[in-house]
Amino acid sequence: MPTVLPGARGQSEVPAPGVPEAAVLPVMPALRDLLPRGGLVRGTVVTMPEFGLLSLALAARASADGAWCGVAGISEAGILAAAGLGLDPERTLLVPDLGSAWPQVVASLLDGCEVVLLRPPSRPSAQARQRLEATLRRGHGVLLVAGDWPGAQVRLRVAAQGWTGLGAGHGRLRACCAQVIADGRGEAAHARTCWLWLPAEDGSVAIADPAEIPGQIITDPAPDAAPALKVVNGQ
Amino acid sequence: MTTAGTRPERVFVLCCPELSCSTVASRRAPASFAVAGPRGPEGPSGRVTPTAGSVAGGGSGGLVFTPRENTAQSFERVVAVVIGFCPRVEVVEPGVCAFAVRGPARYFGGETVVAAKVAAAVAGLGVDARAGIADGLFAALLAAGSGQIVPAGGTTEFLARQPVSVLDDADLSELLHRLGIRTLGDLAALPVRDVVSRFGAAGERAHRQASGWDARPLAGAPPPDDLSVAQEFDPPEANAEPLVFTAKALAEQMHATLRAKGLTCVRVQVQVKWEDGRENSRLWRHDGFLSAVQVADRVRWQLDGWRTKEPEEEREAGGITLLRLTPDQVVRATGQQLALWGEAVITDRVARAAMRVQALLGHQAVLRPLLEGGRNVDEQVTHRPFGENEEPSRAKDQPWPGRIPGAAPAAVFPEPRDAAVTDRGGRPVTVSGRCEVSAPPQTLAVDGGPPREITGWAGPWPLAERWWDPDSASRRARFQLVTEDGRAWLAAVRGGRWRIEAGYW
Repeated sequence: MPTVLPGARGQSEVPAPGVPEAAVLPVMPALRDLLPRGGLVRGTVVTMPEFGLLSLALAARASADGAWCGVAGISEAGILAAAGLGLDPERTLLVPDLGSAWPQVVASLLDGCEVVLLRPPSRPSAQARQRLEATLRRGHGVLLVAGDWPGAQVRLRVAAQGWTGLGAGHGRLRACCAQVIADGRGEAAHARTCWLWLPAEDGSVAIADPAEIPGQIITDPAPDAAPALKVVNGQ
Repeated sequence: MTTAGTRPERVFVLCCPELSCSTVASRRAPASFAVAGPRGPEGPSGRVTPTAGSVAGGGSGGLVFTPRENTAQSFERVVAVVIGFCPRVEVVEPGVCAFAVRGPARYFGGETVVAAKVAAAVAGLGVDARAGIADGLFAALLAAGSGQIVPAGGTTEFLARQPVSVLDDADLSELLHRLGIRTLGDLAALPVRDVVSRFGAAGERAHRQASGWDARPLAGAPPPDDLSVAQEFDPPEANAEPLVFTAKALAEQMHATLRAKGLTCVRVQVQVKWEDGRENSRLWRHDGFLSAVQVADRVRWQLDGWRTKEPEEEREAGGITLLRLTPDQVVRATGQQLALWGEAVITDRVARAAMRVQALLGHQAVLRPLLEGGRNVDEQVTHRPFGENEEPSRAKDQPWPGRIPGAAPAAVFPEPRDAAVTDRGGRPVTVSGRCEVSAPPQTLAVDGGPPREITGWAGPWPLAERWWDPDSASRRARFQLVTEDGRAWLAAVRGGRWRIEAGYW
C-alpha cells in the first residue's frame, strides 16, 4: 500500500513549517464514506466525469482547514457556491485559461497548492500524465480531475440527480438529491454508493435519508457517459 | 538639541487620492479641514468609498465610480506629466509626488502659475489630483491635502494650526492629545529639550516637524535610465543557465546602486533582446523584497515562459543578445517591512507557484477571487490578478433585493451561453414588457445542442438595474429551469434573447 509517511517528504518541498502533515486531506463528513481512508489521500488523483458541485465540495473542507486550492481550466467555477461549502476564496488560485502547455502550468500549481481542481483542455499524453503524477507524489497534493484520467485512484460520478422545489411555473430550486458512486483502484476498488443532498436546502452537503429521496429522480443523467456507468467493480 | 542647516526649501506636492494605496495627505488630513466639493466621503484607505446606501442602489447621488484597472500605470502617466515641469520629481509613495518648486517657479513666473499649469496638465489625463506648496515636504503634504499654497514664510503659522493627529506617529499624537497638546503650535512652543527627555527620539522628530524642519531633504529621482543594468552577449547566448547567472549578477549590481542612493523600486522590468532584433519585456513586483537570486528566478521563469509559448519562433530567433534589468517606479527606501501581498497569508511556496504560472501565461492568467455584493450571480464574485490587492467595490453584507434566493449555482458562466426555449408547439417562448410569459416553456436547447425536456420551471423574476445610467443599465427576466436529465439552469431573457447564466449541478 503506498502509504505516505509524514517524514518522507523531499527537503525542498516542505509545506507550511511547524504544521505536521497528515497523509489524508480532510473532506466534509457527508463525503467520507465515498473515499478510501475517509479523505483525499495525498499524492493521488480523484476523477469525476465533469465539473460540478461535487468537485467543489471535495476541495472545500481541505481549503477551510488551511490548504491552498488551485482551480485550473474551469472558467465557470462558482466560487460563491464553493464558499458556501467552506472553500476559502482567500486561499484559492484560479487559472481559467490553461493554454497549450497546460501540464507545465498544472505542475507549477501543484508545487504551491495542496488541492488542484483541473479540467484538462486536451487529453493528456501518457508521458505528461506520469510527469504530473510524479509531481503530485513529490508535492503531496491531491489532483481532482473533472474529466478522464486513466489510472486515477478514485473515480466519482453522479449517477442520478433530481431537484426539489420547482413546479410548473412556481416555486424555486431548493435542494438536489444525488446518487454518487465511487470506485477506483487498490483500496478504492470496492464500489460505494451514497445518496447525498448536493446541495441541501441550507446550501450544505448532507447524507440523504432514503425515506426522503424524491421518487421522480431520473437515473443515468448523461447518455454520453453511459460506458462509464456500469462499472464492474474490481472484486 | 539645536537644529542644523537652513530652513527647508519650497516644496510642491501633487497627490492623487484615487491612485494611491494609502494617501499620505488624506491620512493626515484632519476632519477639521475636509476636502471641499461634492465628493464622496473618504474612507480610511483614502479611496473614495461609496456609502452603504448608494451601494444598495438607493440613490445615484454625485458618485462617480472610476475604474481602477491599473493605478500604478495611471500614476506613471501623472509622474511623466509632472516631469515635464521639473525633471527631478520624487515619488513619495504611489499616488503622491513632490518636487522643489523654486526653479520651476522662477521659470514659469510664480508658484501659483506652476500649480495651475500642473493641475491643468494632470486634469487633462482625467485624474483627480490636488496640489499644495509649502516650506518642506511635511507641510507641503498637508497643504496638498487641502489644496492650498502656503505663502513663503507662512509655513510655521500654517503648521501651528494643524492638530497633532497629522503626525506620522499615531501613538505619540494620541498621547500628546491626552496631555492637552492639541495643535502642532502647542508642541512647537515647548522647549525641545523637555520634549526629548519626555518622548525620546520620536518626540524630537515630531517637534522638528511641528517647527517646520523637515526630517530629510527632498530626493528627486534621477532619470530611470541611470539605474538600469544591462549585459550584452556576443556571441548571442542560447542557453538559459548562463543568462540566469548573469541576471543574478546584474540584480546584485542593481540592488547595490539603488541601496547606495537610498532608493528602492516597486517593480523591476526584465527586458530581453533576441538575435533577430525582437524584444520582450515583463514587469515583476519587487517592493524592495526580492534578493538577487529571486530576481534571477524570475528571469528564468520568464525565459521558460517565452520558450514554451513559441517554440518555433524561438528556434528562429536564436540566442539572446541583451539582458537588461530596469528598476521601475523608484521610491525612497524607508526600510519598512510590509507584508508581501498585503496579507500575510500567502506563503512563499504559493507565491512562487503562482508567479511561475504568471511567467508562463502572463500576469492576468492567475486570479484570486473576491466575494462582492450584487444581484446577479456573475457580479457576486470578481477576480483580481495574483499580486494585486483590491477591495470589494460593492458591499457584501448589504441586502441585495432581487437576488435569486437559495443555493448558489456551482457553474457560473463568464460568458452566458446562448439558449433556445420553446413551448409545446415548438414556438420560441417570449416574455412581454409586463413580464408575462407567452406560453409555458417545454424544451431547452443550449448552445445549439439537442433539446432537453423541461420538467419544472419558475419565473420570470424581473430585474431592472441602474436605470439612471444608460451605460450600465440592464433589464432582464430570470427563470430557473429543471430539465429531464436532472439538471437545473438559471436562464435570463434580455432583449428577447434567452441566455443560460449559470448551472446547478
